Amino acid sequence: MDYKLSTAAPAGKGRTLLSAARTLAPLLREERSNIAIAVVCVIISSAASLLGPALIARVIDTAIARGDYGLLLRYAGLLAVVYVIALGSSYTQTIRMGTAGRNLLFRLRNQLFTRLSNLPIAFFAQNRAGDLISRVNSDTDKINQFFAQALMQFFGNGFLILGAGILLLTLNWRLGIAALIPALAILGITRAISPWVKRTNRKGLESLGALSGDISESLSNFKVIVAFNRVDYFREKFDLANQRNYRASIAAGISSGVFMPLYTLAGAAASILVLAYGVKLIGGGALTIGVLIGYLLYVTAFYNPLRQLAAVWSSLQMAMAALDRVHEVLGLETDLVAVPDAPAGAPGALLAFDGVSFNYPGGKNVLENVSLILERGKTYALVGPTGGGKTTTAMLMARLYDPGSGAVYLDGRDIRAFTPAERAVKIGFILQEPFLFSGTVRDNIAYGQADMAALTDEELTKRLKASGLADFLDRFSEGLATPVNAGQDTLSLGQKQLVAFLRAVLRQPEILILDEATANIDTVTEQLLEEVLDRLPKATTKVIIAHRLNTIRNADSIFFVGGGALTEAGSMQHAMDMLLSAKRTS
Amino acid sequence: MKRPRPPSLFGLLKPYRGWIVLLIVMTVGASALGLAVPRILASAIDTFTGQTGDLETLILALAAITVVAFIIGNLQVLVQTVASERVARDLRTRLAGAISQQTYATVDALTPASLLTNLTSDVDAIKTFVSQAVASLISSVFLIFGAAALLLWLNWRLALAVLLVLPLIGGTFYVVLGRVRKLFGQIQGMVDALNKVLNENIVGAALVRLLDAQQHEYRKFLVVSEKSRAISMQILRQFAAMIPIITFLTNIAILTILTLGGHFVITHQMSLGEFTAFNSYLTILIFPIIIIGFMSTAIGQAQASYFRISRVLNAPPPAARGEQAGALTGAIEVRDVTLTHGTAKTLDHVSFTIGAASRTAIIGPTAAGKTQLVYLMTGLLAPTSGEILYDGRPITDYARSSLHAQIGFVFQDSALFNLTLRENIAFNATVDEARLALAIETAELTDFIAALPQGLDTVVSERGASLSGGQKQRVMLARALAIAPHILFLDDFTARVDNATEAKILANVKANYPGLTLISITQKIAPVEDYDQIILLMEGEVLAAGTHAELVRTCPEYVQILQSQQSTDHYEAA
Repeated sequence: MDYKLSTAAPAGKGRTLLSAARTLAPLLREERSNIAIAVVCVIISSAASLLGPALIARVIDTAIARGDYGLLLRYAGLLAVVYVIALGSSYTQTIRMGTAGRNLLFRLRNQLFTRLSNLPIAFFAQNRAGDLISRVNSDTDKINQFFAQALMQFFGNGFLILGAGILLLTLNWRLGIAALIPALAILGITRAISPWVKRTNRKGLESLGALSGDISESLSNFKVIVAFNRVDYFREKFDLANQRNYRASIAAGISSGVFMPLYTLAGAAASILVLAYGVKLIGGGALTIGVLIGYLLYVTAFYNPLRQLAAVWSSLQMAMAALDRVHEVLGLETDLVAVPDAPAGAPGALLAFDGVSFNYPGGKNVLENVSLILERGKTYALVGPTGGGKTTTAMLMARLYDPGSGAVYLDGRDIRAFTPAERAVKIGFILQEPFLFSGTVRDNIAYGQADMAALTDEELTKRLKASGLADFLDRFSEGLATPVNAGQDTLSLGQKQLVAFLRAVLRQPEILILDEATANIDTVTEQLLEEVLDRLPKATTKVIIAHRLNTIRNADSIFFVGGGALTEAGSMQHAMDMLLSAKRTS
Repeated sequence: MKRPRPPSLFGLLKPYRGWIVLLIVMTVGASALGLAVPRILASAIDTFTGQTGDLETLILALAAITVVAFIIGNLQVLVQTVASERVARDLRTRLAGAISQQTYATVDALTPASLLTNLTSDVDAIKTFVSQAVASLISSVFLIFGAAALLLWLNWRLALAVLLVLPLIGGTFYVVLGRVRKLFGQIQGMVDALNKVLNENIVGAALVRLLDAQQHEYRKFLVVSEKSRAISMQILRQFAAMIPIITFLTNIAILTILTLGGHFVITHQMSLGEFTAFNSYLTILIFPIIIIGFMSTAIGQAQASYFRISRVLNAPPPAARGEQAGALTGAIEVRDVTLTHGTAKTLDHVSFTIGAASRTAIIGPTAAGKTQLVYLMTGLLAPTSGEILYDGRPITDYARSSLHAQIGFVFQDSALFNLTLRENIAFNATVDEARLALAIETAELTDFIAALPQGLDTVVSERGASLSGGQKQRVMLARALAIAPHILFLDDFTARVDNATEAKILANVKANYPGLTLISITQKIAPVEDYDQIILLMEGEVLAAGTHAELVRTCPEYVQILQSQQSTDHYEAA
């Protein structure tokens, strides 16, 4: 399955305004009342801002010209009321729209996170962490900014443009057409260049994502950079990405910036056209000078809000580019869906492979037509050369991947028929590379288990004691309360493996998979851990990947994994022989 | 407690004086030309009605000005984009420079999540400030002073009445910006937190899926996401009130003029013409005030972000290192070294010596401080007290580059880059083909690489996800060997490699890198029995040091470890 997100701008026009609206509509549905109120407020504010100057003109013409101070004060009172209404409506509009934008940002981020959570691990091997973070944090914010700051301008200015446009055409249709020609030209040009603007913006966002990917990787491997004298590598790689981002952002900035001068030009061109044409019309006696003067004012009233829209329009292109990147993630579907009605098979076995083949994208088959049966309560060892497919086999057992062909059966049912929750209860898997989340040792042991998280420290310790695990807490400076910081080296790899072990064993799964689970733990502790494993309920099936001989020797069955096949070794010696010959041929 | 005053944003812009001036000229030019168009339009009409001049010339002039305005408008966009992107790029470069000078420990403490925000979101906020706010801010301030002077000159009494609102507006700015500064800092902190949760969710993806903990992770994310929204709403409430209040205050100024000025006109203290002029100049005063109001979000955000960035830029540089270079023999002394984390002692008065070209094993239980010790010995961390000496000189005497050029380090956890195998192995820039080939051969990677369709040019995915555990270990070993080190540190290198391969690799190392000083953290005693020295570390202290035979004789803890391994030999070990 290919989960690689595109990191190059898609060809063609991409998302249209309509499809963008369709994508965002469900997100905005809950903001309907906020948006509706904001629209009303924006109309009131626009009306108030038109009314103010009109009132002042009237005061000057009447009260001041006549010297009627009483009338002046009455008008002043009226004006004050208008100003207060404007104050209230513009405050309400900003609050409502700002709230809608922030709610949208909140929902979009949460949706993205949920989507990421539902994607299989194959996705994360194909996409860089930094770029994903950039999509969740930065791209969503671009969309928010458009909503919070720009969307209402559409309504407010659209309202003004519409009014002025109607006036222009009704007052004098010939002049009106002359006045609107530049606007039509602008419309055409805008349509023509918008895809380019969006594309450059998309490239800008992408280069930021790439930069973020590089930074994130370099910073998390900073010790390698220091130890290998490659601060220059970090600098060079960073400078390259930085320079790329610089160029892409300049292109984006310039392309977004073209609208404003263009719209200003259109406004001026309209005035000149009207003036020239109007003068000609006056010459022919079809127009009076007074009407022309008034007409020119309306032209300005039409083009000024249109200029405002220019800024909004570039903001929209940025938001659409961001939306594309966000939507790419939202649009991905996991191929590890639950298939409740998948046919059952392998009755009696706890876990079985039936003709399983598997390959990683672009690679050759790691497993080819492999079948195996694991019985309840037995211990199995997987041996084989590094890179031979031991970990892959284990991952298929836990459905971290689905086989390319064939089926995996768990407890007589297709493993795909189980919900993730059911699988989590049945299967315990200690990964080769232990990972701890930030928090405490306790948080990590109880991780993802609400009932365990609810226990007090004493109760949890009691539970650990019951499984013979409590003594291992001595290996941590502050026991259960020892802080863990995922990005930092606060715990050793051995300690992390210990936590992973406690976490998995405490859950008492039906099948416990240990993938080199104790590789970095000292042998004395390891022996104690083995005793813990021995004390597990008799029905627990264990699958052990290890290099140490005794674990293998104690296994009920040994499987040799290598060369695409999984072969049951008759004895320890047989397994060793296969290992030796595999080495010679590989 | 009062927070230190944030460093000035304008200080940051000093090196870009030329650009900023150009930007202001363009901004002012574009708006001046924009204002000129209606004037000429008016005079064109006057010309037409008065029949006094050449209308065609005026229309042509108008067209010319329009075209010039268009050109200047585009130039303004160009200057504004280039200037702001330059500031952003250079600031990122400075930040990266500051980070790369820092020690591993400092970068670890600043946290990668926060540094990522600094380099992306924080720099972006400053970029927005430069592109959208700087020019209009500066020209607005000039306009305000100019318009105020003009008003005072026209009618000082009326002007004073109007200018009374200026302190009110200034006060509003001051109060709101003061309040939001902290909030903007907090919201960037939330971005750090989101980065962190996301990153953990990505790196720990397999675990989350195995334990079906998506809901749990989502709740963690939701908490931060919700907090971020709450802070953002607080900011919104501040700003949502600010702009309407400022507009309202300016409207009050208009109202004042109307009533007071109207009174003056009615009582014949002022002419109607003066009054009209006063009114129109007032617009010149109000316009920039509103502009500043709109820019205030960008200002507040940029200030908070620059404050965060300054913390990194101004972080104290790591202690000065000496300039000592030259070949190391491999003689190392660890002298009374203690390392504390908070109150916990990770290493406690550790002392031992290592002879040149010798082989030393460090063993000990989990969490004994083995890895930390090796980090100290390679200079990645600095001890809380005590000294590390190479050839009798403190490690701090040596130039870092000289030290790291001679010390190879194989880390315990997989730290590989999303680069090709070749680039990962020849990670150090000085590696040539011969060294690369020797390192690959020594690490027993020749067959593995030969079997790959793209060989050495195969790209390793981030965190090495496409390689098996043993392959990652061996690639990291090859990377360390490729620098042809004089001293090689192995941190639990053999944990994921079987005994036969391990024995072969170690034999290869011995044959191909003669004279190498080897320090190896390991769990297994058998492969290191013949080493010159075995150091047993327990709970941060050196419990015993000596040869295998000595330790077997004198150290019961060592014997216990040995016994635990009697039956735990690896494949083919027997």
